[in-house]
Amino acid sequence: MKKIALNINGEEYVVDINEDMRLIDLLRDKLHFTGTKEGCGEGECGACTVIMDGETVNSCMVLAFQAEGREIITIEGVGNGEALHPIQKAFLEEGAVQCGFCIPGMVLSAKALLDKKPAPTRNEIREGISGNLCRCTGYNKIVDAIDKASKYLKEEGETK
Amino acid sequence: MKLETVGKNIIRVDGLAKVTGKATYPQDLYMDNMLYGKTLRSTKPHANIKVDTKKAEKIPGVIKILTYRDVPYNHHGVLFKDHEVFCAKKVRSIGDPIAFVVATCEKTATKALEEIEVEYEELEAVFDPIKAMDEKAPKVHDKSNIIYKYQLRRGDIEEGFKQCDVIVEEEYKTSMVDHAFLQPEAGIAYLENDTVVVCVSTQYPHFDQLEIAEALKIPLDKVKVINPAVGGAFGGREDITMQIHLALATRLIGRPVKAIYTRQESFVAHSKRHPMIMRYKTGANRAGRLIAMEATIVGDTGAYASWAINILRKSGVHATGPYEIPNVKVDSYAVYTNNPFAGAMRGFGATQVPIAHEQQMDILAERLNIDPIRFRLENCFKKGSTTATGQILEESIPLERTIKEVEKQMKKSVVGGV
Amino acid sequence: MKKRGIGYASTFYGTGYGNGFPDISRAIAELGTDGNIYIYVGATEVGQGAKTILSQIAAEALGVDFSSIVFICEDTSITPDAGTAAASRQTYNTGNAIKLASEKLRNEIINILEKRYGISTENIEDYLLQVAKLNGDEALRMDGIFTASTTEMDAETGQGNPYYPYTFSVYGIEVEVDTTTGIVEVTKAVCGQDVGRAINPKLIEGQIDGGFSMGLGYGIMEDINLQSGRIKHDRFTSYLIPTALDMPDIDKIIIEEPEATGPYGAKGIGEPVLVAVAPAILNAIYNAVGVRMKEIPVTPERLLKALKVKERGV
Repeated sequence: MKKIALNINGEEYVVDINEDMRLIDLLRDKLHFTGTKEGCGEGECGACTVIMDGETVNSCMVLAFQAEGREIITIEGVGNGEALHPIQKAFLEEGAVQCGFCIPGMVLSAKALLDKKPAPTRNEIREGISGNLCRCTGYNKIVDAIDKASKYLKEEGETK
Repeated sequence: MKLETVGKNIIRVDGLAKVTGKATYPQDLYMDNMLYGKTLRSTKPHANIKVDTKKAEKIPGVIKILTYRDVPYNHHGVLFKDHEVFCAKKVRSIGDPIAFVVATCEKTATKALEEIEVEYEELEAVFDPIKAMDEKAPKVHDKSNIIYKYQLRRGDIEEGFKQCDVIVEEEYKTSMVDHAFLQPEAGIAYLENDTVVVCVSTQYPHFDQLEIAEALKIPLDKVKVINPAVGGAFGGREDITMQIHLALATRLIGRPVKAIYTRQESFVAHSKRHPMIMRYKTGANRAGRLIAMEATIVGDTGAYASWAINILRKSGVHATGPYEIPNVKVDSYAVYTNNPFAGAMRGFGATQVPIAHEQQMDILAERLNIDPIRFRLENCFKKGSTTATGQILEESIPLERTIKEVEKQMKKSVVGGV
Repeated sequence: MKKRGIGYASTFYGTGYGNGFPDISRAIAELGTDGNIYIYVGATEVGQGAKTILSQIAAEALGVDFSSIVFICEDTSITPDAGTAAASRQTYNTGNAIKLASEKLRNEIINILEKRYGISTENIEDYLLQVAKLNGDEALRMDGIFTASTTEMDAETGQGNPYYPYTFSVYGIEVEVDTTTGIVEVTKAVCGQDVGRAINPKLIEGQIDGGFSMGLGYGIMEDINLQSGRIKHDRFTSYLIPTALDMPDIDKIIIEEPEATGPYGAKGIGEPVLVAVAPAILNAIYNAVGVRMKEIPVTPERLLKALKVKERGV
């Protein structure tokens, strides 16, 4: 057992963890941030993607103790209270969601991409989500949605 | 007809929960006092087995290990009841469930799996569906490996081929593939008074309810299936996987029991797409009319029938492709082997045959020196056409129009489009 | 060298269990005491959009706003059996059952308004709460049952009407084949999909994209690699499915020609959208490099081998 402190979605947590506990287990089993999904357990599908200090990571490939002192964003922390993040709004409007299991990871990969590159090309969007597998949507509407979200974010930036 | 709601791009009703991470899949459920289940699966494709769970049962934290002895009616299956809930004496493919360990935590359950002793007496196995059709081949079940034959006869096939100017004969093969839905199988079962509640991702909750009730030998209304968010299915959640295991465990133990498959277990636990071997002979005349087609289709259903009969039937019915052919002979077979079992997957037998019939069309068009689009337009189903099974297509048959529109758009979209 | 080619495939798909097997969907439409319309049906939302499509059919049949519909499908103890979410049958079969139940409920509401209040109206929307309160705690419920019409085929000749209705797909695909690596890239696609009537065009487009991706994987990537009954490719490191980089942009053409027996003319499309993809890719590969690939998936190794055979002129 080990005690670590970390920040999740803007809140501080101090938790007891086992040395071999993965970040995904801490998030899901211990803290019940169940929006983070496990699809393969070996960093191939991207369903467990979270943002750690601004970078996307597969939370199944990170041990919980490695998150000590870090800032984590999960899908639960993407929107602003009840208001949807422009990426979430665009995903809904463009029909980018089907079964939904890959969607939390997709939204976080999209966020990390747009945070760094506010106006990506379609091909850059495809690259940005190439670590996230989806079996339902064929990705095209997800690409449309991220493209639209980048425009929403630009408009938001202009009105601020 | 003026329509108000139909035809509109209404935003999907389950979308909001899914983009916010609030949609609940069975793995997202946690209950007080719950236990974890893990499945022991066969590592041999064909063997007689003896199972000893004594050592594993002694591990602290192991609550119970279920085997065939615990199942009131040890059979299930969508059409034939040829699956055993837990193999009693014989395994027929790698991945067949043998036991289900219920423990206080996942780690203990995993450890217990390693301590269960399974004695395998290996039997000769058959993996090639063509060899499996031979009477002398090892029997996967105690009967012929050929479980179904569909035959289609229309017109006069010999006379038809005599009238052909060009005949193309080829053999095509498709592979065994997985649904690879992103959400691995997961479920949780618990008791609500004397009702067993099984919360699981499935395509057909009412059928699961029936199979659980049959296996547990309890009335149907004492089983409730809750079907929360489903992370893709594509046919792979037609046959049940963990449903009976969970229901039985919670009923015998009286505590909630949860299970989640790893991706690797998911691969062996659910059905696959039938690989098919398709021998085709297709003939047309110089004017570009299809005259005759003969096909033999063999589908490998692995160790269990699942939907094989319906699938090989669907392959047979769709073997011609969407074309009018006056003389047709099709034989399609579903065959047991010791491969992983095949069942429903998106397209259900109608996905494999176009690999053959659409290449036959292009080969014939080339030999006849006709544009492949013109060749399809000449032969395709139209309003009033008769299919190979003698069905008259009376309405909503816009195939000709669809071909023309796609060709037009291809010319616009694709640089150098033909 | 990179070579481009195009290929077409046209396919058909018969909806439902088929062959005369009882293919039954049941649904209940209820005017809840809160004035909302509750649809109870055992049809699973697997991601295909059943909840949305079937709610649209209910709203249309009742003549009420979409937001009045509450769709319940997750619990066997309160929903009637609507068959499996497979065989592309939910829109057609269960859509019909919901349409029947909804029409019955609408007629009953119109009757009540006329008999009890002397109101003769086609617009029930404004009176839902008023009618709902009439029976106290008892909700007004109507059921709908739909059975698909197919016949069992003759055992000797296979003659009969095994499926109904049929849905058609025509896909045109452009590929680029790298003759040095054997890698096939799908660069463009035009997908023409017959739908009867589009209940929700955007959801149909999503199905076309998704079916395309699965068909692309089937044609050139996916194989569980069986060796003596063992699945060798049992994880995403070895069992490769398409990523966003493997997918082309697709021109989608939705073809509407209503089917009289379908709800508002709609037919099922969940499976049809997949079946034409792989064969069109195979024909495009031939068009590009002149080899007929008779076994799928067309992996780079298989294609290079075929190209070598062709070069040697065997």
